[in-house]
Amino acid sequence: MIIHANVILISSYAVAVISSIVVGLLLRIPVLPERPMRQSWTISIVFPTAVLALGFSAIVFKLGIDGLLVAAIIGIITALFSKYLLERILPEPVMEES
Amino acid sequence: MNEILAIAIAAGLSWLNFVIIDTWMGLPEAPGVKGADVIGRAVKKRGGDLAGGFFQGNIVCSPDASAGTLLASAACYTIGTPEGGLIAAALVYFGNRLCADPGYAGTTGALTITVIIYLASFIGIGPEYFVVGMVLAIVTIQGLHHPLASKLLGKIAKKMGRYTELT
Repeated sequence: MIIHANVILISSYAVAVISSIVVGLLLRIPVLPERPMRQSWTISIVFPTAVLALGFSAIVFKLGIDGLLVAAIIGIITALFSKYLLERILPEPVMEES
Repeated sequence: MNEILAIAIAAGLSWLNFVIIDTWMGLPEAPGVKGADVIGRAVKKRGGDLAGGFFQGNIVCSPDASAGTLLASAACYTIGTPEGGLIAAALVYFGNRLCADPGYAGTTGALTITVIIYLASFIGIGPEYFVVGMVLAIVTIQGLHHPLASKLLGKIAKKMGRYTELT
């Protein structure tokens, strides 16, 4: 029973990530940030979309709402959030010349 | 497992986790904000290393892998593993963006410590030991002797090819 519950939970996280990747690709979000990645502010599918999909899924699952369909919806919403809202809410800072 | 031994192992793993990830993500290379620049140069003036000083300044000014490690440990303790770590990673990302940081170090640190906490739980080291361990680990970098700690961080940065080119 515990193993079954874990399989469902792990599958739900996987579905959330996969759906965020698929919708991200459809929305033409870049797969990876440009190199050097550690200095890039580009919002990509691998980072932060997939990471946010995992985080949002964990929040929703912990609130007691779970299942594969819920996971797929979270993935879709995360991809839309990354594409249309993230850069507006938390934009890249403008560095002043010194 | 003996509590003191568990805390010591957790502190060592937390230290390695945040120092390696923060260095790999380029914290010693350049200050992300003016505050980190001021701290780095102040540490150098006191006999420390500039790259190590930038590292120390950057982890003060934005939530990097050190904060990710501590927050993920606390979240795994309060919420559970791995959910707590995943939630912490998402929240650290937002914190990073608020602090003019792209967020790679903090998020990666939160995710890797979640995996480490999960694996360590099999040998009886729970997330509570990582909370204590991470506090001790950050004390060695920020709380004991800045110039000495910065020299160690500078040497690690040189070995990993992340030493600053600034003077």
